[in-house]
Amino acid sequence: MTIAPENTETEVPEGHVKLVVDGEEVIAPEGELLIRTAERLGTVIPRFCDHPLLDPAGACRQCLVEVEMNGRPMPKPQASCTMTVADGMVVKTQKSSRVAEKAQEGVMELLLINHPLDCPICDKGGECPLQNQAMAHGRSTSRFVDTKRTFPKPISISTQVLLDRERCVLCQRCTRFSDQIAGDPFIDLLERGVHQQIGTAETADIHNSASHTSSGTPFQSYFSGNTIQICPVGALTSAAYRFRSRPFDLVSSPSVCEHCSSGCALRTDFRRGKVMRRLAGDDPDVNEEWSCDKGRFAFRYAAAKDRIRKPMVRDESGELVEASWTEALRRAADALVAARESNGAGVLTGGRLTVEDAYAYTKFARITLRSNDIDFRARPHSAEELDFLASSVVGTTPEHVSYASLEKASAVLCVAFEPEDESPIVFLRLRKAARDKGTKVFHIGQWTTSSVRKTFGELLACEPGGEAAAVDGIAEHAKDLDAALSSDDAVVLVGDRAAEVPGLFGAVTRLAERTGTRVAWVPRRAGERGALEAGAVPTLLPGGAPVSDASARATLETSWGLDSGTMPAEPGRDTAAMLAAAASGELDALVVGGVDPDDLPDPAAAREALANVGFVLSLEMRPSAVTEHADVVLPIAPVDEKTGTFLDWEGRVRPFSITLEGTGALPDCRVLDTLAVEMDADLFTQTAQAAWSDFSRSRVVSAHQGSNPDQHSRPAASTPDTPDGTVRLATWRQLIDNGSLQVEEPHLAGTARDAVLRMSAATAERHGVTRGERATISTERGALTLPVEFTDLPDDVVWAPARSPESIRSVLGAGHGASVALSGGAR
Amino acid sequence: MADPITPVLTKRWLSPNSWRLSTYEQLEGYTAVKKALRKPPEQMVALIKDAGLRGRGGAGFPAGVKWSFMPQADKGAAKPHYLVINADEGEPGTCKDIPLMMADPHSLIEGCIIASYAMRAHHCFIYVRGEVLHCIRRLNAAVREAYDAGYLGKDILGSGFDLDIVVHAGAGAYICGEETALLDSLEGRRGQPRLKPPFPAAAGLYAKPTTVNNVETIATVPYIVNGGSDWFREMGTEKSPGPKIFSISGHVEQPGQYEAPLGTTLRELLELAGGMKDGIPLKFWTPGGSSTPMFTADHLDVPLDFEGAAEAGSMLGTTAIMVFNETVSVPWAVMKWTQFYEHESCGKCTPCREGTFWLAQVLERMVAGKGTEEDIDTMLDVCDNILGRSFCALGDGAVSPIESGIKYFRDEFLALCEDNKSKQSEAELVGAKA
Amino acid sequence: MGMFDPLKGFGVTFATMFKKVVTEQYPEDFYPSAPRWHGRHQLNRHPDGLEKCVGCELCAWACPADAIFVEGADNTEEERYSPGERYGFDYQINYLRCIGCGLCIEACPTRSLTMVNFYELADDDRRKLIYTKEDLMAPLLPGMEEPPHPMRLGENEQDYYVQGPELARGRGVPEGETVETSKEEAIQ
Repeated sequence: MTIAPENTETEVPEGHVKLVVDGEEVIAPEGELLIRTAERLGTVIPRFCDHPLLDPAGACRQCLVEVEMNGRPMPKPQASCTMTVADGMVVKTQKSSRVAEKAQEGVMELLLINHPLDCPICDKGGECPLQNQAMAHGRSTSRFVDTKRTFPKPISISTQVLLDRERCVLCQRCTRFSDQIAGDPFIDLLERGVHQQIGTAETADIHNSASHTSSGTPFQSYFSGNTIQICPVGALTSAAYRFRSRPFDLVSSPSVCEHCSSGCALRTDFRRGKVMRRLAGDDPDVNEEWSCDKGRFAFRYAAAKDRIRKPMVRDESGELVEASWTEALRRAADALVAARESNGAGVLTGGRLTVEDAYAYTKFARITLRSNDIDFRARPHSAEELDFLASSVVGTTPEHVSYASLEKASAVLCVAFEPEDESPIVFLRLRKAARDKGTKVFHIGQWTTSSVRKTFGELLACEPGGEAAAVDGIAEHAKDLDAALSSDDAVVLVGDRAAEVPGLFGAVTRLAERTGTRVAWVPRRAGERGALEAGAVPTLLPGGAPVSDASARATLETSWGLDSGTMPAEPGRDTAAMLAAAASGELDALVVGGVDPDDLPDPAAAREALANVGFVLSLEMRPSAVTEHADVVLPIAPVDEKTGTFLDWEGRVRPFSITLEGTGALPDCRVLDTLAVEMDADLFTQTAQAAWSDFSRSRVVSAHQGSNPDQHSRPAASTPDTPDGTVRLATWRQLIDNGSLQVEEPHLAGTARDAVLRMSAATAERHGVTRGERATISTERGALTLPVEFTDLPDDVVWAPARSPESIRSVLGAGHGASVALSGGAR
Repeated sequence: MADPITPVLTKRWLSPNSWRLSTYEQLEGYTAVKKALRKPPEQMVALIKDAGLRGRGGAGFPAGVKWSFMPQADKGAAKPHYLVINADEGEPGTCKDIPLMMADPHSLIEGCIIASYAMRAHHCFIYVRGEVLHCIRRLNAAVREAYDAGYLGKDILGSGFDLDIVVHAGAGAYICGEETALLDSLEGRRGQPRLKPPFPAAAGLYAKPTTVNNVETIATVPYIVNGGSDWFREMGTEKSPGPKIFSISGHVEQPGQYEAPLGTTLRELLELAGGMKDGIPLKFWTPGGSSTPMFTADHLDVPLDFEGAAEAGSMLGTTAIMVFNETVSVPWAVMKWTQFYEHESCGKCTPCREGTFWLAQVLERMVAGKGTEEDIDTMLDVCDNILGRSFCALGDGAVSPIESGIKYFRDEFLALCEDNKSKQSEAELVGAKA
Repeated sequence: MGMFDPLKGFGVTFATMFKKVVTEQYPEDFYPSAPRWHGRHQLNRHPDGLEKCVGCELCAWACPADAIFVEGADNTEEERYSPGERYGFDYQINYLRCIGCGLCIEACPTRSLTMVNFYELADDDRRKLIYTKEDLMAPLLPGMEEPPHPMRLGENEQDYYVQGPELARGRGVPEGETVETSKEEAIQ
């Protein structure tokens, strides 16, 4: 902003205009709305419907100002939220115009005539734009003495959003958000005039039976929580937070979401040591002002009743009993030292660690256990994936691919990646790019998912497991996509599920080399990108240098203060290999972070390994399948109770500091540091700050990062034929399911998408499945029965959510791309 | 001034089966379109501009100028253009488009063809108010007849010009007479006015260049093509030329549609309509529907054209003249009108939605004898807070009967409050009844 | 100093022995303080026994000593504690912090919170001086019923606020009998 001194001609830069606001000359970029120009000058014009990220509506008429154009005053006051600046405009806001002031007072009075005096019991009371602006711009008394319009008090439009229509000022922010940003227009205006109200198909009183088709669609959106946050009155409130506290007794703390790799800035509000709610933080580079419902509502796992708060050790009778830190650490240290001296110990960190914690695990494995047996991948994984991560991902920063580059891209290709389920904020940005900037979004997948529809995308359908061949076939079969990807600003997003498809990472690398497009890896979990950078993988050191690189090892030995040659030189085992080794006795102990065996490639084998291995140390928050087999359980702190840093999928550093202090919970890095001391090693990770500075100092960047010749020679694996009578399974996890961080959230769980088995009508017919009924998919391990829905899947392909709620891998022992038998009815 | 009786638009109305194509063709129907299609489209626009034809829907915007806003791009690469006819006649007292479409639908269709040709539109939509089923049927039948006769469809009359007309029935909302709300409704959305800019000429129906014209405007076009702009300018006044259908209702001997040149006064029109019913003197009247401020007996000689009405403090509107004699209570009539606006407010913007709700309650209270003198001032202030503050003109229209009613007949409002003064009822608690 | 002077002093003592004693023999004898004494708080009830507190926390906000903790919760049809949507689920006043200023009383929008003239607010255990909702709730007067129970006086909370006492009389509470726990005569 430039404010020109009086009586001097200032240069108006290209694309800018000069206007006068309240007697002050101001230069504003063309197309800027008056309300923002005034705001830059420090004049806040009251508003309700205006929101910087939504299209202008001009519905509430609260922001009226007087405008003069070319020396002629406009006859009516103008809505400053819809009028753009123009050269020579003279604007008078409420500060300098009695007309504007009266217009604003008048509209405020009209808004209040039907607004109930609910403030004492309203969740918004104390942080309510209507309340605040009525105090600042309203009349002190009301002249309305007649009967108010009333509605029955709140109706729930989904399990987590309640609607109080009396309080609504009909600004339409919620409907515009749902329609424009989220693409879930399940709420809309109903009726007209003073009876106009927000509603869903369920709340609408539809008498016309022809309209019943849309009835019964609740407000089911992964982003519905945002409507609560942007509601300028208390019309939309959260069922989970309802009446729990008031804004004035909450302490707000900026935080970062721990659920997925989107890296959303959040605001955590707590009261007397208890987190009451979370709101989306404002970070224009990342999540803008939005967050998904999982990030917003799933936080009570940390306050769960069964949270482990004291160390536990298994006694002689085989029961886990509480023990002192000293005893538990002693037990763990002794067992791990014994294992180290014998066959060794492996480390499974899980994908939810902060960079600092992952780094502590890395050091713990390499220094204390003297092994490279460490892997963060608690999910299907492959050696090919490691090559890809080493060559194309580790060390990348937002300068490579970022949210901004998605928005600027002419084309984006999503491979093995369902944005709405696996990284909702990436999805929002893709939708914004497609809707506002015309970005073409392509998806290689199996069916027209809501992500495809809502990003106005194009689906390149392929068999599950055939993704690699599909990527290789782009040059030949999808010339338009090939051309689009060849432009400078195109981006390929590849999900961590690509590890389930042999040859897919190679195909993506070849595609990138051929077209010159940038590739970004979007893992599902928040900690994976950071763990990779911290070196919590069997083949890479912190910073991404390969373990096999002697000079890199030497550098690291120096910075870690180790004797030369003490670092293990052999690449370690990956998750599957460690579990196999543990089961067969080749490993004597496992150190396990937050790992859910159901997510692993073979849950049954993982459980067997945990049961068979000599010693299991579990670092956990809540009892899990791992603690069942653990010999020592050490409690660790959830994100609210620790400081740390996540790396989001862009490689952006997302530091956060502690929200709830003094709970006594310790972060993994501190626990491991103490344990290492018991084992006569120093990790220097007592605090997150210490761990971060040690990590920053010790990163060893790979000398030959970039292309990996080995990878490109690998041909794309051809999909094996499906035996007769079987179908091929496509699957991934939906955003809201029974994940371990979503416990004790009944309201959130109610908005999960239904677990259904999807298939084409032809497939159903061939296998004797009827629409609307249930069908069963099975392997020799087990069977899963779900309701059937017809979708545009390729023939002989079925799709099921990876948790329904049982883990598909646990039940069937099979995952994406596997052959399963399909039959109608329950078995 | 021309003779008041110059039937132009209504000349066929009394012919037997006037709505049939055969009747229309006998009475020089579809002759204008033949002339028009031989000339370049620009010439048509210029002709309408020269004739000075002003929109008959209420605002009086010059139709030729409106047509010239449409992009001049050629076929092919350019976006399609649309012509939309606003036949959602809903203004209280207005009754001209529906009789016109009932009696002479082909004049509208002919006008549509010429206008579409002038604007290079190949699709024309006629948005008819849903309640007038008979009219919709007749219009549909006429469109069918025109298709069969080759006036619509591909290659009209061998000119190479294609046009399809779709008759669309609205669902009965006053707001859908507002052009952008009409477009939303036509697209299948909720009928609520759109933000302007972009104006329909840039991004209207389906975000394509669109012109929205009133039925009477378009029905006038064939006569201009046949008669020429000079002939057209012989009628009416300098700035408001041409004939106009006045719908006269209320306390007159013979209510109905009367065609007269613009600039005719009510005194002349009353003569045509047989004078006041039963000789009871005139008290107040509206020049163009309830959304235009009312006039009194003092305004009998106001020339009813766009300028004349505006000068006298009202608007010409739709020339829906509602005549009220001395037996009618002004506050009561104003209350009825306000209830209409409360019912028809679309709800999009605060002033109109909440303001009409409030005003209706105050007026109802007042008519019931429970008003106070402060209520009159409150009403005027609320009107001031609605006028020019609402999203579209509905709010402005809603306050004009109240403001003009109080301006001319404040005494009547005060009399109602006087009545209440003696009763001195106990002040009710706010919200006690809610 | 005269000879009888020492006895004079005893004379005063002796004479006083026959006068009316002004000293209050607290704690053996208990005298109530003035009705408007800023004593212990009380959470009042509607005439049918439902709680007036809506859990709005305005008292807690007004408290300059941060002595009040409130948490609201949702009334359901099955379990109703107050008319309307919200009730005070948890209500605590810490009398170690309370300075008796009465700002909380002024802040209360439903006149749920008032002060009674009870002043024995001392104890030997800190925890005992955090009064909870059970300690603070007004006693049940005739016609009142311990919540949770459905609304007995009307359809909605407005009936309670606008005409609660009249409705209570309609239910048979005799004229002259107090129906409001916040009335001074109820406190005495």
